[in-house]
Amino acid sequence: MERRAFLKRLINFSFSILVLITGSVLVYIYPSKMKERKLHYVYLIDEDELPKRGVRKMEFKYKSEDIAMINRAYLVISDNSMNAFSPVCTHLGCFVNWDNNKMEFICPCHGGKYNQKGEVTAGPPSRPLTKLPLKVMDGKVYLGIKI
Amino acid sequence: MGNIFDWVDSRFGVRKPHSKFLERRIPENLNYSYCLGGMAFTYFLILAVTGLLLSIYYVPSEKEAYRSIVMITNEVMLGWLIRGLHKWSATLFIIFIMLHTIRVFVSKAYRPPKELNWMVGVLTFVVVMASGFTGYLLPWDQKAYWATEVGTSMIQTVPFIGDYLVYAVRGGTEVNGATLIRFYSFHILYLPITISLLLWAHFHIVKKQGISKWL
Amino acid sequence: MKKEKNFYPDYLSEIIVAMLVSIEILIILALLYYPSIGRQIDFTKQFQPRPEWYFLWLFEMIGYFPGNSAFIGTVVIPVVYVLLFLLIPYIDRGKNGGLKAIIVGIFLLLTFIVLTLISVL
Repeated sequence: MERRAFLKRLINFSFSILVLITGSVLVYIYPSKMKERKLHYVYLIDEDELPKRGVRKMEFKYKSEDIAMINRAYLVISDNSMNAFSPVCTHLGCFVNWDNNKMEFICPCHGGKYNQKGEVTAGPPSRPLTKLPLKVMDGKVYLGIKI
Repeated sequence: MGNIFDWVDSRFGVRKPHSKFLERRIPENLNYSYCLGGMAFTYFLILAVTGLLLSIYYVPSEKEAYRSIVMITNEVMLGWLIRGLHKWSATLFIIFIMLHTIRVFVSKAYRPPKELNWMVGVLTFVVVMASGFTGYLLPWDQKAYWATEVGTSMIQTVPFIGDYLVYAVRGGTEVNGATLIRFYSFHILYLPITISLLLWAHFHIVKKQGISKWL
Repeated sequence: MKKEKNFYPDYLSEIIVAMLVSIEILIILALLYYPSIGRQIDFTKQFQPRPEWYFLWLFEMIGYFPGNSAFIGTVVIPVVYVLLFLLIPYIDRGKNGGLKAIIVGIFLLLTFIVLTLISVL
C-alpha cells in the first residue's frame, strides 16, 4: 500500500474512534436510571380536623434519600368529595398558590389559573393540576407521593 | 523590576517572540467605544480570580451549599467582598459584552473578512449566558432553586425528546443535589474553558486582521 | 493620510487605563451593594420565581405562548433569536444588505429591552 493512502486510512480510522469516544462521553453524562420511585403514603391530618368544605394548604414531612423534606399539597373538600392536588404548575413547574378571594389557584410565574377542580381557567398551562391519591385509615388521612 | 524582567527575558524569551504583537500599528483616531471589549475582558479575568477564591469555601452539595454561602458571606474574612465582586463582575461582564456588541454592530465591523469573529463573539455571548444560568443555582436558595426549576422545565417542552433532555440536564427527574453538582461542574470547568478558547480565537482574529476603523 | 500608533507603549497604556476604570466601577458597585443571602429552599412558602435580569425577556416571553405552543416560546424563538444574531454578517449581503442588518439588529435589541421592561414594571 502506498504510504499516503495508508495515512489517509489511518486518519479516517482515528475519526471513527473519535466518534466512538464522543458517544461514550454522552452515555457517561446521561444519568443512569435511578431507583424506581414508589408510591408512599404520608400522614396528612386527622379526619376530624378537616374543614367541611373549602381548600386547605397542607404541609407534610417525608424523607428523600435521607434528607428530611417538607412539602405542600392542596386539599379540596366539597360536600361529598375530597381531592388532593399537587401544587406543581403544569406549565413550567412553579408552585401555585390558593387565592381565597378569587377562589382559584394562581401560578406566580406566568399567571396560570386553575379552578377548584384543578382545571385550567386562564394562562399558559395546558394540563390540569395533578391529582394525588388519598387514603383514609383509622380516622387519619394519608397522601400518596412518589419518593 | 526592569532587571528581573531582563533576566527572565534572556532565558525565557518574552520580548522577541512577541515583538510583532507589541510593535503592531494601531489606527490613531479610535474613539473610546473601542475600549468596551477590553473592559468586558477585564471582568472576565476578575470573574476567574474571584471564582477561584470562592471555590475554596464553597461546597457543592445539597446539604451544605446554602450553609457554605452563609459562611462565605458572614464568617469568612472579606468573603462578602469576594462574593460581591464575583456577582457584580458577572453583571458588568454581560452589560459590557452587550455594549461592545452594539459598538461592533454600529461600526459595521462584522463585515467581511470579520464575519467569523462576529460569530465567535456571539457564541461567547451565548456561553457566557449559560455560565450565568448555571451559576445562579449555586447559592441553593429559593431564588436559585425556582429559577432553575423553570429554566430546566423549558427544555422539557421540546417535542418527543424533551423528557430525556431534561433528565440529562438535571441529572435526575427533578432539580436536586445531582443537578447542583452538574451545574457546579459546568460553571467552574466546562464553560470557563470554552469561554477561554473562544476568547483566544476572538483575540487571535483581531490580531491577524487588525482593528477596523469606524466607517 | 493614515495616522497610526504603536501598540506598545501607546495603545497598551490606554488599555491599562480602561482596565483600571472598569475595576473601579466594579469595586464601587461591590462595596455599595453587596449581595444578600437568599432564603433557604422551602416548598411550603409562597415564592415568586425570577431569573437573573438578562433572562427576564425570555421569562416574560414564555408567558405569551399558552398550552401546547409553549414549545415555540421556550425553544423555537430563542434558537431563531440566536441564529439571527449569529448570521448578521450574512444578512448584511447584497442590495440593501446594510438596511436589512440594521432592521434585524434593532429588532433584536428592542425585543430584549421591551420584554425586560414589561417584566420589571
